[in-house]
Amino acid sequence: MDWATIIFYLLAAVAVLTAAGVVFARNPVHSAFALVISFLNVAGIYVLLGAEFLAAVQVIVYTGAILVLFLFVIMLVRPEDLRELNTAPRVQTALAWLLGLALFAELGLVIATGVLTGARGPYPPEEVAAAGGNTQLIGRILYSEFLLPFEVASLVLLVAVVAAVILGLPDRFLTGERARGLSLSLGHPTGADRVLEAERRGVPAVDAPDLGEPGTIDTGRAPVGAGRGR
Amino acid sequence: MPSPGLGMTAAFMGFVLIVLLSTMAILTWFERKVLAKMQDRYGPTRTGPAGLLQPLADGIKLLAKEDVVPANADRYMFLFAPLITFATAFIAFAVIPFGLETVTVPIINQPLRFFIADVNIGLLFVLAVSSLGVYGIVLGGYASGNRYSLLGGLRAAAQVISYEVILGLSLIGPFLLVGSLRLTEITRWQQANVWLVVVQLPAFIIFLIAGIAETNRAPFDLPEAESELVGGFHTEYSGFRFSLFFLGEYVAMLVISAVASVVFLGGPAGPLLPGPIWLALKVAFFIFLYFWLRATLPRFRYDQLMGLAWKLLLPAVLLHIVVTALARLAAVEGWLRF
Repeated sequence: MDWATIIFYLLAAVAVLTAAGVVFARNPVHSAFALVISFLNVAGIYVLLGAEFLAAVQVIVYTGAILVLFLFVIMLVRPEDLRELNTAPRVQTALAWLLGLALFAELGLVIATGVLTGARGPYPPEEVAAAGGNTQLIGRILYSEFLLPFEVASLVLLVAVVAAVILGLPDRFLTGERARGLSLSLGHPTGADRVLEAERRGVPAVDAPDLGEPGTIDTGRAPVGAGRGR
Repeated sequence: MPSPGLGMTAAFMGFVLIVLLSTMAILTWFERKVLAKMQDRYGPTRTGPAGLLQPLADGIKLLAKEDVVPANADRYMFLFAPLITFATAFIAFAVIPFGLETVTVPIINQPLRFFIADVNIGLLFVLAVSSLGVYGIVLGGYASGNRYSLLGGLRAAAQVISYEVILGLSLIGPFLLVGSLRLTEITRWQQANVWLVVVQLPAFIIFLIAGIAETNRAPFDLPEAESELVGGFHTEYSGFRFSLFFLGEYVAMLVISAVASVVFLGGPAGPLLPGPIWLALKVAFFIFLYFWLRATLPRFRYDQLMGLAWKLLLPAVLLHIVVTALARLAAVEGWLRF
């Protein structure tokens, strides 16, 4: 075995073990951190395959940004508040096992029959080297051959951005019933409970009376400054 | 030009590590001295000449202290978090070019290059590994089992995410002009043409602001804001685990300074003195700038910090990219003659 193979098995083993850790960890923060390590090892495998650009983007986008935001959200929520996370309905558990085993069988079959080794792609290592590295090549292809999918993807992301801006609008830009409902954020520690309680009683949230002590309110939780300085 | 063997690269790697570790220690002394002079004080004077042995005394003190783990901490996460910040801070130096020449080391007669690796993704590698250090802060803040620490960790997460975007975008202007992510290519381009700070001044300023915020230094040190959060994410840390956070921050500062020097100030280029010395001088300038700002500016408020990133710096850097792209297009198409 050469060094590349040994390193591959090392990276792959850690990636698989930590991926299992994501599922089995009781604490969601531990799950997220296991996912960080798993992604880093996958990035290492990309490097072994000669896809340095993909590896860098994997680390910058997934581990550097998305998972930090995951942690941000998870840390705002206390795990004991998420009862569904720990006690999934029995049907769901059974279904998850079934689908998981089916996927596992499929993957095993593909690997065993060797279908995975397909034809050589249009960009062998020599061509990548001739283009001056895979950063340059990906850039060239992305902005010529795959321009339309690329632009469509950015449009989809733009829609998400607009939606996020609407959700984050301050109260003064909203009117009527939306005023309270839409501006519900984790910055209002009691806001969610109050509106949900009001909905249950059929009272419009805006005029919801002070409900006293709804059992789930954690008054000790500090309001998180999500960029709203008042 | 002969390529150096694995042994020489490993030796150079060790050398860089030793230089970084000792620089880090001296920086703690340098910061206290600079702050003291700016605040009309003496700073450390008792330990050694001009207090130069102060870092050694601090190190012994921190190592000898008890390593306290709070009762309701997430024990293993708490113990592990400072190591993340400390260890990941060094990795970025793997791609920083300290000089472009290949020299032959006398006696053993082996070629030596002044960088560890020259990878195709260069600067992306720096951005990628420097985005990992925040995990130590976020997880440390979470694992401490303390509300102030948690708030510090949350602030760090939001702040670093926001400023990472700016940091990455501010480097796109230089990429457009140079046409490569390789730090050695960027250095060569600047030697052939002009230092990028001249043609990319807005990008340089935005990079510096984002870099200071990315390393959680004053005036953007909100994750540890001692006036509001006791000590922020490191409230519960003591002894050498605290010092790992502290020193990781210094190495992160060195990384940002080194990248700023290489990308905008020509890296190892300069007259008379050898390349590595010039790079060290440029890095020292940026480090001094960090301390200068800390002594001068009051801390931002949290909403000001976020407003600055998303409402001012982001539009500014996007505009700068468009202008740079147009200028590049004009040059390529020959609309303008430079």
